[in-house]
Order: sequence, then C-alpha cells, then structure tokens
Amino acid sequence: MEQVHQPARMKHLQGPHLNQCPGKSCDPLALEEELMSASQLEEEEENGEGGEELDPDLAPEVEEEEGGEQEENDLGDPAVLSAVHNTQKGLLGSPGFKAPAVLGMSPASLQFLWQAPDYLAPLPFRPAFPSARSPARHFGPRLPSPDPSLLCSPSTSWPLRLSLPSHLTQLHPQHQRILKQQQQQEQLGRPPSPSATKPWSQQPDPYANLMTRKEKDWVVKVQMVQLQSENPCLDDYYYQEYYQKLEKKQADEEIHGRRNRVESLKLVTPYIQKAEAYESVVRIEGSLGQVAVSTCFSPRRAIDAVPHGTQEQETGAASSQRLQVLDWIEKMFLQLLEIEEGQKDGPLQPCDSEQHSNQVEKLFQALKTHKQNTQEEAADGFLQVLSVRKGKALVARLLPFLPQDQAVSLLLTITHHLPLLVRRDVADQALQMLFKPLGKCISHLTFHELLQGLQGLILLPPGSSERPVTVVLQNQFGISLLYALLSHGEQLISLDSSLEEHNRDRTAWTDMVILTAWEIAQMPTASLAEPLAFPSNLLPLFCHHVDKQLVQQLEARRELALIY
Amino acid sequence: MNYMPGTASLIEDIDKKHLVLLRDGRTLIGFLRSIDQFANLVLHQTVERIHVGKKYGDIPRGIFVVRGENVVLLGEIDLEKESDTPLQQVSIEEILEEQRVEQQTRLEAEKLKVQALKDRGLSIPRADTLDEY
Repeated sequence: MEQVHQPARMKHLQGPHLNQCPGKSCDPLALEEELMSASQLEEEEENGEGGEELDPDLAPEVEEEEGGEQEENDLGDPAVLSAVHNTQKGLLGSPGFKAPAVLGMSPASLQFLWQAPDYLAPLPFRPAFPSARSPARHFGPRLPSPDPSLLCSPSTSWPLRLSLPSHLTQLHPQHQRILKQQQQQEQLGRPPSPSATKPWSQQPDPYANLMTRKEKDWVVKVQMVQLQSENPCLDDYYYQEYYQKLEKKQADEEIHGRRNRVESLKLVTPYIQKAEAYESVVRIEGSLGQVAVSTCFSPRRAIDAVPHGTQEQETGAASSQRLQVLDWIEKMFLQLLEIEEGQKDGPLQPCDSEQHSNQVEKLFQALKTHKQNTQEEAADGFLQVLSVRKGKALVARLLPFLPQDQAVSLLLTITHHLPLLVRRDVADQALQMLFKPLGKCISHLTFHELLQGLQGLILLPPGSSERPVTVVLQNQFGISLLYALLSHGEQLISLDSSLEEHNRDRTAWTDMVILTAWEIAQMPTASLAEPLAFPSNLLPLFCHHVDKQLVQQLEARRELALIY
Repeated sequence: MNYMPGTASLIEDIDKKHLVLLRDGRTLIGFLRSIDQFANLVLHQTVERIHVGKKYGDIPRGIFVVRGENVVLLGEIDLEKESDTPLQQVSIEEILEEQRVEQQTRLEAEKLKVQALKDRGLSIPRADTLDEY
C-alpha cells in the first residue's frame, strides 16, 4: 500500500463522517461504545491484513461504518482488551517496528481510556490533522502506526507514560530516556515500577473533561488563527526548514529500506479569509482633517498616524563612509533577495522573466554606479563593496544572474585590482566565495577579454617595480583565479586553431604565460598558496612555452604545493 | 492528540497534575482543568506548597483561576514519582512558622547590608521601590 502524504490523505475525511452518528451525544458511555466498536472493526481488519502496518486508508471505512455499529455493540471490556492486547503483541513482532516512536501501554491501563471519551479531530480542521480519529480507538492496533505523533487521549488522567509527545517536541535527553525506558518496560508486559500505587489513580477521574472537546477546539482554533500567514517561508522560516530536513531524512530512511515510514506532521494553519481591509480613517477630498471610522477590529483608531516614507537624508559629514558603504550593501542585498526569491519559485514564466531581468539590471547599475561620477570612482565604489565580507557575498550571489558582458566587466575590475582586494581580504579570507561564480564566468570569456584580464594582473603598473602577480600568487584566491584564467586560455587556443601564430594577441598570450611561469618559479615554495583547483591543462601549457628546466621547477613546485 | 505539531500547547496537559510557579513566587500544584488562548489556567484540587529548606507544607486551596501573564512556568507531575522526594512534609502551622522565621532572618540580613552600605555612602534602591519592569 502506498503511503500517501498526510495532508493529501485527509481530504476524503470530510464532514459527515466523523462524530455525526445519529443520536450521538456527549454521553461518555455512548462514546465509549462507539470507540470500542470501531476498535473492534479495526482489529478485524488488522488481523486480516496479517499484521501489516495499518494503512490510514482504512480509517474512512471504519468511520463510515461507525454509525451503523453504534446500536450493535455490547462488548465487555475484557474481550476488547484481550483482542487488542493480542493484536498489539502481534504487531510488535512486525519488522521495522520502531519503539520510541510509539505508544506503549499495558493492557490494564487501556481500561482507563475507554472510560474517558476522547475527542476526535474537530470538523473544521480536518484537512490539517493527519489522524482525524480518536487516538484511543487506534491505540492498540495502531502501535506501529505510521504516525508517531499520535498521542493517546489527552483527556485521560493517566500519567506521563501514555503521553509521549510528538517527535517534534524536544525533550531533555534524560527525560526522553526515562520515557523510553518506561515504554519498553510496559511493552514487555511488566507493570510499571512498583512504587506505592495510589488508590485514586486506579479510579477514573470524575472531573475529567470539564473542558469539552468543543472548547479545546476553540482554543486551538484561536491559536491557529494567530499563526496563519501569507508567506510561511518567510514568517516561519526555521520551522519550514526544519520540517523539510525532517522529511528529507525520512525519505532517505525509506529509501534505505526501512519499511515503516514514520510520517511526521506539519503544522498547517487553516486558511481563514482575512477581513476585508478597511480604511479606518477616511479622507474626504478637499476637506481638512479626517473622519474616523470605527469597527470591531479597531474601535479607536482615530487618526492615520503612519509616516509616509520620506527617505532619511544622509547628514553628510556626520556618517562615516564605511557606514554608507554598509548601508548601500544592505539595500542592494534586499534587492538581491527579491531576485533570488523570484527565481526560487520555479522556472520563470515569460511574463516574470522580464521583470526579473529588470530587477537584475537595476541591481547591477546600483552596484556599479552608486552616486559616483567618474569611471574611476565607480570602480572605487565597487571595490569598497568588495572589501566588506557581505559585499563579496552579494557579488558572488549576483554573478549567476548577470548577463555575460556585465559579469565580464565585474571580473575584469576584480582582476585589475586583485592585489588591493587581496590585501583588504586578509582579515576575512572571504574571497573564496567569489571563485565559483567567477570560474563560471571565466569559462565563457573570449580570448580578447581573457587577455585583458591577464594583462591587468601581470603587467607592471606604472610607478611600481613589483608585478601584481607576485602578491596574487601568495593568495589562495588569487592563484586559483590566475590558474583558471590560464587554463581557459589554453583551452581556447587548443580548440580554436584559427588563431594565427603571429597574431598580436597570440604573442601577448605567450608573453603572459612565460612571465607567469617565471614568477611562479621565482617564488619560494613556501609562499605559494594552494589553489582551490588545479586545472589539468596547465602543465602542458607551460611545457609549450617555456624551457624544460623551468617546467621541471614548476612541476616540483606544484607537487610540493599539493602536498601542503 | 497532536493538534498543532511543531508548537507548544497546553491542550495535551489538560486533566493532568501540574506544578505551577507564579510570578509572585508561589508554587501551586493542581490538576489543570481548563485553559484559554492567553494560557489562563483553571487548577482543580489545588494545593499551595511552601518550601523552607528541606521541609515543605501543603495548604489546600481548592480551585484556582490563574491569569496567564502571572505564570512563570508549569510542568507536569509524574504521579508515580511524586512521593519520591528527599523533602520532608510537615504541617501547615509548622511550615508557616518556618517561613516567617526565614523571612525575618532575611529582612534582618538585608537591613544590616543596607546599613553597611549607607555607612559607606552607597545606596542600593530596594526592589520594591523599583518599577517591576
């Protein structure tokens, strides 16, 4: 039998089935009979199935017959109990039985359950509850139930043992151990530890269920209403993530051969139509002041005291520049989150994709030209963003969305200022996160663009005797980026044989490679950083262009570097 | 029955024996009979338990209705383990006497402390003169 996911299963447990038997009253005895008869039905079906895990699809059948059965029952307790007990024992032997997830109860204690009328899942919440049945009814036959969160009736006065909270409740480890221990004890048929059993505990609690089912449902309803939200992924992020992880784990467990899939419950708040948004303050055109409209939701809201967003003006001298950059990053991050959110929902609809690309474009422009006038200042602003860890994260996450030309411009800016970035990154060591998206961008570079990038790295900047590449080689991100660029270049050349030998670009390329090789060889091995990825076509590349001795040196370096 | 998976709810605690700690420091023990959305509690066969040192005394109080905001915490009592305690139960009169004595010693110690501070020119405002929040 297939396990249908809990919420879907519940769809057919609709209105009239439950609790609507003719002549039903809140009379405990009537309910008791109802429960017992239903239980008996279930047991028969159980036994017929040969101890298989009870399929919840049986539930509706049981419930439908409930009405007819009500007159017939005249079961005495012992008969039921023994039947249930046997089934219980039988089911205990079934494979995949998972002790902790299940209720354990001695037969004697079952007696108390029958006494106390349980309340069944409330009508309005049927879709929300996976087991819209009395827990007591299912108690015995349902031991290896797929639903570990089935508690026995909360309305009994029997102690802790029965009420193992759902697996979603966190118990103190010691507490959990004690509960498990007790369960196991009971499963073995032993009575619980023989401390003085108080006389009153053997008798039914005459004050039980002062709070009726309806009242409990009402409280739950109020609580549910308070929890509902339009956007649970945002409002209730941690619970949703946790639940997904849990489901995934269970799916994995199921795949790995555990027969009984313990399905976990999810909190599903009922969808209640929100009251139509009303204007509590009415403005009449052309009049001064406001007319207050009061309703039962807000009887006293007299004026519209909501500030209508004027952006705070930056007081120039007071706020430091760093704060400005941080503030700017935050604003861009919000835009980025919107973009990611839009994409997360699935493949883009054609109507959405335009909006999406607009958003991306807007963000890119914001990134590139934040109140900067000249080209140089723009680059400076971008570098400031990159100097902050969050800014690096922003760029790393934005890159996949950008069209190639924009991504390339960012890449070139980065390579041109790599030594500076490396120096500023000493504290964070966060440049690594840029490697993957940049790597992807590199693999689509044209030869010319590639050369530009390399030249920025390798050629001597004016007024300095040190090549930027020296600093770059000592940094992990830098060296990885450099290798990635070289590797891509080599790949381009080997693929595209139309590039003439004496092409200017080609000679420039060769120069780059030689210079790089020389720099690597110059650098003491200890200072060479370990690249994040060492492309396989690098050594052949060097072989092509440099003499053998140098290659051997390089190889030695590489091996030593790899050992580290 | 797990009405609300993933949440904490008092529904499952109904008709069970609980220990409730109130904000004013009182400890109540009773059967939780009814709740509402504010966690107001109706406790049945309530007993107020006073602890002094290793002794305790129970004062039967009947039915309590506790406003939710005054509850610090509450927890279910394991009826089996209830008697398993190293504490010694004494009569009400005795425990009240003990409590009075303890209160007195505390006040005296407090007075001494305040006096000592005053002598040194310091003052700590007393808790009851501070705003509760």
